[in-house]
Amino acid sequence: MENITKKIRAVAKQALINKEIDKILGWKKGDLWSESYPVFITKPEDADSLIWDSFCINNLSKYLIKELPKYDKIGIFIKGCDSTSFNQLLKDNRINRENVVLYGIPCEGMVDPEKVKKIMLNDRVTRVKKSENGFTLTNKNTSKDVLGEEIKYDKCLTCTSPNPVVYDQLLGDVVNNNVNREDRFKGVEEIESMTPDERYNFWKGEFQRCLRCNACRDICPACSCVKCVFDNSDAEISGKAKTEGEDTFFHIVRAYHVAGRCVDCGECARICPAGIPLDKLNRKIIKDINEVYGEFNAGLDSTTPAPLVTFKLEDADTFSKQGGK
Amino acid sequence: MKKILKTKLPELWQKIDADFDLFLPIEKNKTLNFSLWKEGEKVNLDRVRTNASPKHLVFPQTETYLKFKNENKKLSLEVVEAEGDEYVLFGVRPCDVKSFKLLDNIFLRDPVDTYYKVHRDRGIIISLGCSNPEDTCFCTSFGVEAASAPEGADIAAWDMGDSFLWKTQSEKGQKLMESVEEFFTDAHEKDLKTLEHEKDNIREKLKELPFSNIDLSKIKGTQQEIFDQEEIWNEFSEKCLACGTCSYLCPTCHCYDLCDYKGSNKGEKFRCWDSCMSSDFTLMAHGNPRTSQMQRLRQRFMHKLVYYPKNHEGVYSCVGCGRCADRCPVHIDIVKIIKKLGGEKNEL
Repeated sequence: MENITKKIRAVAKQALINKEIDKILGWKKGDLWSESYPVFITKPEDADSLIWDSFCINNLSKYLIKELPKYDKIGIFIKGCDSTSFNQLLKDNRINRENVVLYGIPCEGMVDPEKVKKIMLNDRVTRVKKSENGFTLTNKNTSKDVLGEEIKYDKCLTCTSPNPVVYDQLLGDVVNNNVNREDRFKGVEEIESMTPDERYNFWKGEFQRCLRCNACRDICPACSCVKCVFDNSDAEISGKAKTEGEDTFFHIVRAYHVAGRCVDCGECARICPAGIPLDKLNRKIIKDINEVYGEFNAGLDSTTPAPLVTFKLEDADTFSKQGGK
Repeated sequence: MKKILKTKLPELWQKIDADFDLFLPIEKNKTLNFSLWKEGEKVNLDRVRTNASPKHLVFPQTETYLKFKNENKKLSLEVVEAEGDEYVLFGVRPCDVKSFKLLDNIFLRDPVDTYYKVHRDRGIIISLGCSNPEDTCFCTSFGVEAASAPEGADIAAWDMGDSFLWKTQSEKGQKLMESVEEFFTDAHEKDLKTLEHEKDNIREKLKELPFSNIDLSKIKGTQQEIFDQEEIWNEFSEKCLACGTCSYLCPTCHCYDLCDYKGSNKGEKFRCWDSCMSSDFTLMAHGNPRTSQMQRLRQRFMHKLVYYPKNHEGVYSCVGCGRCADRCPVHIDIVKIIKKLGGEKNEL
């Protein structure tokens, strides 16, 4: 990881000096062991603050929507999941490929600070470092070795695209993808196996905790509308009330809206302050699309049309049948 | 000072639950929140910070106060009373206890907010000392006593390992204490000594926290000067996602919006939490005075660090609970802002 940090800094500095790019989006270390956050750099001398570690979870792609109109060319570091969301933004015509220089970074999965805290909650962890077989958690007095599976984000444990699918330059070696693809839908299957009432109550219980903060929408690379319908007070559905109906409406509308465009990056679930497993809602739709229209992964490229916005005569549902099931 | 063994807690909860709504930090689906206690719920009193603050108990996220109906061209109005029974809130950390006082400054000043007052009057608050503060805690910088009994708690409690020590601090607290006296014994001299030791422990831990070096008195400049530092506000706001996580989790954020549910001939008027992060924040008939995210983010921190203290004898509208530092999806938090504005202790 230190090697990649060195490469990131060198690449960023050179590109800014040569004026190949006007701005670069990367990550910087904060005061805490768990804190690596987005940083936007325009001066070559600031490139030395860039880092790459197991906490560079933030997807920087979505920032391009707001940043690109301000600059001619922007450089950006992207992991596998960031690259699929980049492709999705291209497909949605929200950004132009020629205005971006992509530095791809193969990713071995990011560490979930909550899982680390579960293991060493009150022992003041000061550092989490990659070791040969996993990670070493260190505090003032002691250190502890854990396996990657114990502290990586759930979403990283079932990640199917650890390597960037689009890039101009790749920093680092390609990571082996040895995830069991079936595991990805296990959580969905658990919910599918419930009775309709159980399922309703499950989601009712989850949505009950929703704070309506919109973080799931605001971090989502597939949520890229210029003005979201939930921000449009003229539409009279701004729905600020915290009621069962409003909460459910918001989440169902959002899930349908990103159907076929969700790249399954899991950011919605990661950042939800109420811990609602929103990724399962989106993944259910992905699973259904796979079953009905054949396997489709949004964001693998920026050209293949999504199944839900295309019609083929051989589609499973030809629209010729009358009525629903 | 009274003492209760932890093994007696289930009976204590039952007894309190019989007379009051009992709210405890309850763990559910990976989250910890103050929720209504029921037999069998997983109570977690070890973890210091609940996901959301308990402010929803005194300031519900949505509250209907008026229903209206139009029948045969006749308009009728029905005032809706504040809902909820008397309640006991156990395990409130000193930062959250102080946040109630900060909300009081807003809602109980003239004209008194009757709904807030009803919720506030119905509650008995039992605080719990922070034996294990988290990395993102910085309450000391805001004058919160995480070790001592916080002002505003009806009863103050401390975790002593296999027992809790209780100190009654108000009439309401005394009344509750009398009704559950059977589960308690008098604390001995030895317990009080151990408590002093525990308080010292807590103070030591607080000193070692990563954010213990923030010092608000170092923030220099007039209100206008701080406001005008657009470079700083831009730097943060360009990364801000404009979600409302910070303001909704914050125990002191109290902005609200007034809205209607509109039907064809009847409806309801309600108020609900608002957030300066929302694009329609401060939207008025003539338009919106805050058109950019920079202006809205600046509002959030100016409110906490400048406007509120200006109106309330220098008291900041932050209690250092650390929820924003813990939960902001892109790690923008008040500590970074304070430091950027110069509010850091000078290193020797």
